[in-house]
Amino acid sequence: MIEAKGIGKVYSVKKKKSFFRSEKQIVRAVNGLNLTINEGEIVGLLGLNGAGKTTTIKMLSTLLNPSEGTITVDGLDAVQDAIQVKAMVNMIAGGERMLYWRLTGAENLRYFGKLYGLSGNALEKRIKYLLDIVGLTNASDTPVELYSKGMKQRLQIARGLINDPKYLFLDEPTLGLDAPVAKQLRGMVKTLAKSDRKGILLTSHYLEEVEELCDRVYIIEKGSLILHDTPENITASVVKDYHVTIETSVLSAPVQYRMKQGLIGCTLGFTENADSTVMQIKAPFDPTAQIIDLCVKESVSIQKLELKRPRLEDAILALAKEKSA
Amino acid sequence: MRILSILQAEVVKSHQHNFHNKLIYFSLLIWPALLFVTAYYSFKPFNLSSSSQLSKYMDVNQITMYLLTGYMCYIYFWSLVQSAWNMSYERQAGTLELIFLTPVPRLTVMFARAAGNMLEAVWLFTAFTLLVLLTTGHAGEIHWWNVPVAFILLSISAIVWGGFLNIVFLFSRDAGILFTIFEEPMQFFSGVRIPVLAFPLWGKIIAFFFPLTYVLEIFRDLVLNGKGLVELGEQSFILFCVLALLCTASVFLLKKAEIHAKETGNMVLF
Ligand SMILES: Nc1ncnc2c1ncn2[C@@H]1O[C@H](COP(=O)(O)OP(=O)(O)O)[C@@H](O)[C@H]1O
Ligand SMILES: [Mg+2]
Repeated sequence: MIEAKGIGKVYSVKKKKSFFRSEKQIVRAVNGLNLTINEGEIVGLLGLNGAGKTTTIKMLSTLLNPSEGTITVDGLDAVQDAIQVKAMVNMIAGGERMLYWRLTGAENLRYFGKLYGLSGNALEKRIKYLLDIVGLTNASDTPVELYSKGMKQRLQIARGLINDPKYLFLDEPTLGLDAPVAKQLRGMVKTLAKSDRKGILLTSHYLEEVEELCDRVYIIEKGSLILHDTPENITASVVKDYHVTIETSVLSAPVQYRMKQGLIGCTLGFTENADSTVMQIKAPFDPTAQIIDLCVKESVSIQKLELKRPRLEDAILALAKEKSA
Repeated sequence: MRILSILQAEVVKSHQHNFHNKLIYFSLLIWPALLFVTAYYSFKPFNLSSSSQLSKYMDVNQITMYLLTGYMCYIYFWSLVQSAWNMSYERQAGTLELIFLTPVPRLTVMFARAAGNMLEAVWLFTAFTLLVLLTTGHAGEIHWWNVPVAFILLSISAIVWGGFLNIVFLFSRDAGILFTIFEEPMQFFSGVRIPVLAFPLWGKIIAFFFPLTYVLEIFRDLVLNGKGLVELGEQSFILFCVLALLCTASVFLLKKAEIHAKETGNMVLF
């Protein structure tokens, strides 16, 4: 298990005042964060740009020392025992950097494999296996500069798995990828956690991605934790609104009135079309059954009914609104 | 074994990365060859008899060999300037940070990187030097039994120096300065063309700061003057001290660089 206790990071940045004078400025990127990652679990780290996600990942992967707090990886201290920890973790960032573009896919993996102390047959086997699971076997001898974005990202994943890490940190891994490619990548991440039992921390600002993949989510803002729960609970606790859109045969004014009376606590809106009425309902509970009952009672025929469940995205937006209010 | 494996990895990487383009061979052969030829012909018009100023400091009949050895040793050192310059590329590409993400012994990578780059960069001009030797009939002036030890000294010195430069560039992103300091000044002050002894005092002081100066002196004494290592005891000792100093500084700076990077996250800034 990875356990971060009260970690914080303070950067000191030089601000140019004039040609000769510069002033030190303190940037508090992460502030008193507690966080755990278990084996076989996908944990999400959410937040707006500049919230401190990358900084957190870099501290967990030993690239940065926390200014305060401690990080232990299976009992090893990430600062004191950094070299042992490095052997157990790996990090993958989105985007096309972090590869040698003039080397082929296999050569990239071979280079990094050697830095991890792999060699000979074991290394070649590992390279072959990894290229296979990321679907780059055919491109293994092609220079990376000729790869598509998606291929580069898949090679990054292979690179991140070269040392068979127990814990993997993914910093916006689907950044800039087309939807089907991103979907394929998500499948891969899921397999890594569920079949290979790796502990995974994922940052993303695609909320559906986090909702689909993560067992638990940490939401941070300006470096501080504001919420930690399962995606379902976050959504349920923050967003109380269900949205139902229903299209019916034309409703007369009295019927509309009785509908309003019948749905206590809901907000209704009507849009009149030539041969139908579209009713928008916002409710703090799932109002579908009640609506259908009312329609039957009024002998109104239903043409279309759509229930929009609250999503994590709504939760985040609601949280942001709460904060700024 | 680990060292060899990392060395091989660095050689392959530097080969694919810096030498994939055939144009690079232009800069590795034609450029130093041109330097050599221009230097040679700029000496030509002068009176280089035994009564000339220069003859106080060197055997003027050896001028061809003097320049050739000078430029060859210079290329060994210059290739490592380029290796350090590539650090800024790796910083931008983010691969530098990935190297530090691994548990690899850092010092090994820094020196293997220097060695890998040197091996790739120098063989061509070394071959050229030998060719000139054989075709111009100067081969007889060479003390061949000293050649292996001279090359070993040259290579080790260059690698130590290159590893040191790589480490210095973990701190700085302004790699342009390398070219300013090491292109023309290193050629001039290290005694590639003119013996350091012929410099005025201030020139000698500057020469003192380029490790190439010490290497060149020993290299020429071994290969051109046929002196033995015992005879060169004092010079060898000085070179040894310079290299030891560079190694110590490397170990120290490398530790500092990683600590600094872990504080500031500067390994990705560019
Ligand atoms: N190396 C650095 N030096 C100084 N400030 C930094 C550095 N890296 C990040 N920051 C600052 O720290 C804050 C958090 O950044 P980051 O962790 O990259 O956020 P995120 O990944 O969530 O977008 C930002 O205000 C950013 O400007
Ligand atoms: Mg980020």
